[in-house]
Amino acid sequence: MSVALELIGIRKSFDGAIALDGAAFAVRPGQVHALLGENGAGKSSLMNVAAGLYAPDDGTIIISGKPVALSGPADARRRGIGMVHQHFKLVKPFTVTENILLANRRPHYRSGIQEIRAAIRRQAHELGFDIDPERRVESLTLAEQQQVEIVKVLVGGVSILILDEPTAVLTDFESERLLETICRLARTGTAVVLVTHKLQEVKRYADAVTIMRGGKTVATLDPTTSTAAELTELTVGQTARLPTRGETGYGETRLNVGALSCSRHDGRVVLSDMSFCVRGGEIYGIAGVSGNGQAELAEALIGARKPLSGEIWIDGAGDVGKAPDATKRTALLAAIPADRYAYALAGGLSVAENFAVVNIHSGRYGPAALVDRKAMRRDAKEAVAAYDIQGVRSVNQKAALLSGGNAQKLVIAREFSRQPAVVVAHSPSRGLDARACAAVHERLIAARDRGAGVLLISEDLDEILTLSDRIGVITRGRIVAEFARPADRQSIGRAMVDHT
Amino acid sequence: MSEPAHRRLGRLTLDIRQQLSPWKQSGFLAGSLAIGLAISVGVLAVAGIAPRTLIDELAGTFNADSLRAVLVQAAPLILVGLGASLAFRIGFWNLGLEGQMIFGGMAATGVSIYAIGPEPMRIVIMGLAAAAGGLSWVLLAAWLKMRFRVNEIIATLLLNYVAMYFLFHMLYGAWQDAKTAFPQSTPLRSFERLPDVGYGINSGLVLAILVVGFAGWLVHLSRAGFYMRVISANLTMSKVVGVPIHVITVGVVAASGAAAGLAGLVNVAGQEGRLTQSFFNGYVFSGVLIAFLSRNDPVIVAIVGLLVAVLYVTGQTLQVFYQIPFAMVQLIQAIIVIAVASSEFLIRHRIRWTR
Repeated sequence: MSVALELIGIRKSFDGAIALDGAAFAVRPGQVHALLGENGAGKSSLMNVAAGLYAPDDGTIIISGKPVALSGPADARRRGIGMVHQHFKLVKPFTVTENILLANRRPHYRSGIQEIRAAIRRQAHELGFDIDPERRVESLTLAEQQQVEIVKVLVGGVSILILDEPTAVLTDFESERLLETICRLARTGTAVVLVTHKLQEVKRYADAVTIMRGGKTVATLDPTTSTAAELTELTVGQTARLPTRGETGYGETRLNVGALSCSRHDGRVVLSDMSFCVRGGEIYGIAGVSGNGQAELAEALIGARKPLSGEIWIDGAGDVGKAPDATKRTALLAAIPADRYAYALAGGLSVAENFAVVNIHSGRYGPAALVDRKAMRRDAKEAVAAYDIQGVRSVNQKAALLSGGNAQKLVIAREFSRQPAVVVAHSPSRGLDARACAAVHERLIAARDRGAGVLLISEDLDEILTLSDRIGVITRGRIVAEFARPADRQSIGRAMVDHT
Repeated sequence: MSEPAHRRLGRLTLDIRQQLSPWKQSGFLAGSLAIGLAISVGVLAVAGIAPRTLIDELAGTFNADSLRAVLVQAAPLILVGLGASLAFRIGFWNLGLEGQMIFGGMAATGVSIYAIGPEPMRIVIMGLAAAAGGLSWVLLAAWLKMRFRVNEIIATLLLNYVAMYFLFHMLYGAWQDAKTAFPQSTPLRSFERLPDVGYGINSGLVLAILVVGFAGWLVHLSRAGFYMRVISANLTMSKVVGVPIHVITVGVVAASGAAAGLAGLVNVAGQEGRLTQSFFNGYVFSGVLIAFLSRNDPVIVAIVGLLVAVLYVTGQTLQVFYQIPFAMVQLIQAIIVIAVASSEFLIRHRIRWTR
């Protein structure tokens, strides 16, 4: 059998951070080929290279036996490569037909609409999707939107279909149906790449699996002949040697999360009955595959999301889950959210204002009647120097002008400008270079040593393993297993991916 | 992948400006204002008022009598402008300024009718009552928003009509002037009216200036003003960093309603001297206009309020002497708003011809 798409020695780095380090991959027509790996292993980056979204720094792309240089996604589409992204690229107020027309231009609007409508009907019928071409996209469920994405790509006439984490947003039943459809599609000769981190999907549906770790492809195997344990081991890598450190005595409970339930804005319950506690003097790590409720847990804890029920008890502030204003919570809890610009910074305000906002309530910047802006600027200047925040010409400049890493440093400088009893950090080192990352980790350890309770939510297992004193594994909005230090990497990996 | 910073429109290229010096910004603003005024002059010329007469009329505004009229007119305009700008600052679209004026005016009139408090203190009590009246009427809309998620634009706007018909109910009923049988309240007694403070300045204007001072302090100097900036810059972040969002929002919305209530008092106890059917007419539009032109800055509200008062008074003169309709005055206001609004586009973007 020939090879539909082959990638050889692909390298790609972003601002010096290496995302792909000589990755290789090949998929045959008629196959479902899974690409397995942890978050940040480089799966999506590699597929974005194949879809023409990223230009590789080095390496060869071979389509149907011919080496090509892709000039962009449109070029890739012309050559028969279509990708369905994890975050759908649809125009919400438009109808299904209009969205698909947008991606598959026709010279005349009116006749184009007719053509596209017919093509959608045909394609949807073949796949067994029940799509009404006249519905608006915003009125569709996530599963239906995904069907639209798939039809959109297929209407363009692709021979290589890349699906990036297609089941991340689906329920079990929806996932099953989708994957069965995908298998059927492969039988008709399409080459399908299934990017995933779910072992079970690989075992059940894939004809071949390539495993990625740290930007490299480590192995390509037949999933039917390899065991789950083998796959897990290849995915998470060998157990890293944990750095030794002195024992600290644990203090009293600082943060107690009891039977917490939360729903997303679309009404789906994403945290159900979640319970754990964090004691003073420990770092409690929450490990898990992303999309299992980590974001909602972090939001609930830092006050950005109202829980449906349950308790968030903070030592000294009581149950803060129901409090309307977060003043009390903020005084005791340092929040380092994953999405800085959404939850931690106001891009339109100055660096100094962003820095001072958490301490203004305490009266550090003057009485309620008169804000001491000079003191604000002075403190902000000191923090900029102490935390090595780059790109600040003046503390009066807007925070939106800071790069991701420096914005994070500003958030951390602010949150540690007081003595929090509880620290909630969600992927705190995302987007930071090695030095800044080490500095963040030092801050978390220092907070723990001072007696604070630190909650570290991260999709990076190495980060969790290096820092945590105890580890809870989150799956579908619950803590399904807890491990004490030193934790076994393999067992954590299994708890993360075994959804049963 | 980054979005391209410009979009091509044929040979016209649109760039997004990162920054523009404040005084170039004011240059654009002044230019747009000039264009707006030029169009207005053109419109008036078509309506039969030669630009020459217009200049004479405008110059005429600066005689003592007209100046006095302008200053009297400026007070309620500044107050509604403040009411609008305070609420807009935290993203609460208070379009119920007229309803709040009505309740302010009615509360003040009620104090007079039921003779509450000693005579020397009467006007002060009327002031407090007016503020409370406006405040409670806007808090009704705020409560609807918070409790039932009713859009405040709709709630405040429609509550204007409720307030208006309640006013009519009183003026055609219990509060009707028994002597004249006109739908007006009996005239206020002399100690119930806003006195002149000399130099032809009415205490209504002094009140407005005091409120400007208060709002300026609140917005620019106080901690609450800082929180207001954070709330409007990023609401989600405000929740996370512990901004007392509810307290600030309710407080600022209440202040907005109180300012509009005081505008009601100024018109009832100043200009009109009694509760009438029309003392509130057109003030929603003017309030929003002033807030918009001043970019919600209380100090600039005072200046813009004064300019709009000149426009009003000139408009009234034109109405009386040249028989142009009141709609024409509103049309000119609208032209100026559109002109200033388009300057915003030029401040944010640069237009270039490219080959």
